[in-house]
Amino acid sequence: MPLSAFVTVSAVLFGMGLYGALRRTNAITILMCIELMLNAVNINMIAFSRHLSPDPVRGQAFAVFIMTLAAAEVSVGLAIMLAIARRRRAVDVNEVNTLKG
Amino acid sequence: MNVNWQMVAFAFLTGVTLYSAFRVVTTPNVTHAALYLAVAFVGIAGYYLLLGAEFLAAVQVLVYAGAVMTVMVFAIMLSGMSDIRGQRLSLFKQLTSPYWGIFPFLIAAALVGTILAAYSRSPLPAGDGRTASLADLGKALLSTYLVPFEVASVLLLAAMVGAIILSRREGEN
Repeated sequence: MPLSAFVTVSAVLFGMGLYGALRRTNAITILMCIELMLNAVNINMIAFSRHLSPDPVRGQAFAVFIMTLAAAEVSVGLAIMLAIARRRRAVDVNEVNTLKG
Repeated sequence: MNVNWQMVAFAFLTGVTLYSAFRVVTTPNVTHAALYLAVAFVGIAGYYLLLGAEFLAAVQVLVYAGAVMTVMVFAIMLSGMSDIRGQRLSLFKQLTSPYWGIFPFLIAAALVGTILAAYSRSPLPAGDGRTASLADLGKALLSTYLVPFEVASVLLLAAMVGAIILSRREGEN
């Protein structure tokens, strides 16, 4: 498979995730869209490391670190969201405006 | 009969992954979004297999389709959302809604358009398709990337402690 096929899919996937993260107001769905974007980046990392990098390990190592970060991010994000949901019975980010000036 | 099976697999994966991702972004029901996201993760694991990264494909299924999805479904159930079904809005109404309206779509479309235009203007070199074995990856993680590896483990510990503290009910010891 040519490299351009993978990077095209990855770009479209990232665009979808970006649209969702900006458009949706449910905090859980926003986290899901961020996960989609991180996965698109991972596809890019692995595709480029397979085709262009002088050292094919490099992209895979970075993908491992991105996965670690994504797991940490999702656990803390969902914990924050649960704490908010316990107080307000809602996870709509428009209603969480206590810190708004 | 000369069928390029890699091409067939790629087309199938692309259809499944992009459709699931589209549903994650557009479906009003949060539970459906979570299940479609699991499908998208498995599709992305298929891409990793096509790219010769078998270990990452396995990790993708274990960590994303397994652990992350479980946590998300638990969070959806525990949050006791009143509107788990959400409101169904047509695509036209979404694009013309007073909340940001068409701007998210424009931003995303501009980004994707710029990337694709850049790729089509300067075609990517074909490359030679080298692949790294699991042994190579393990050696690299414990030699070249030792410090980031240890930092990542500390980060996971911090995230775990933070998640426990944040999701604890108040008034408990």
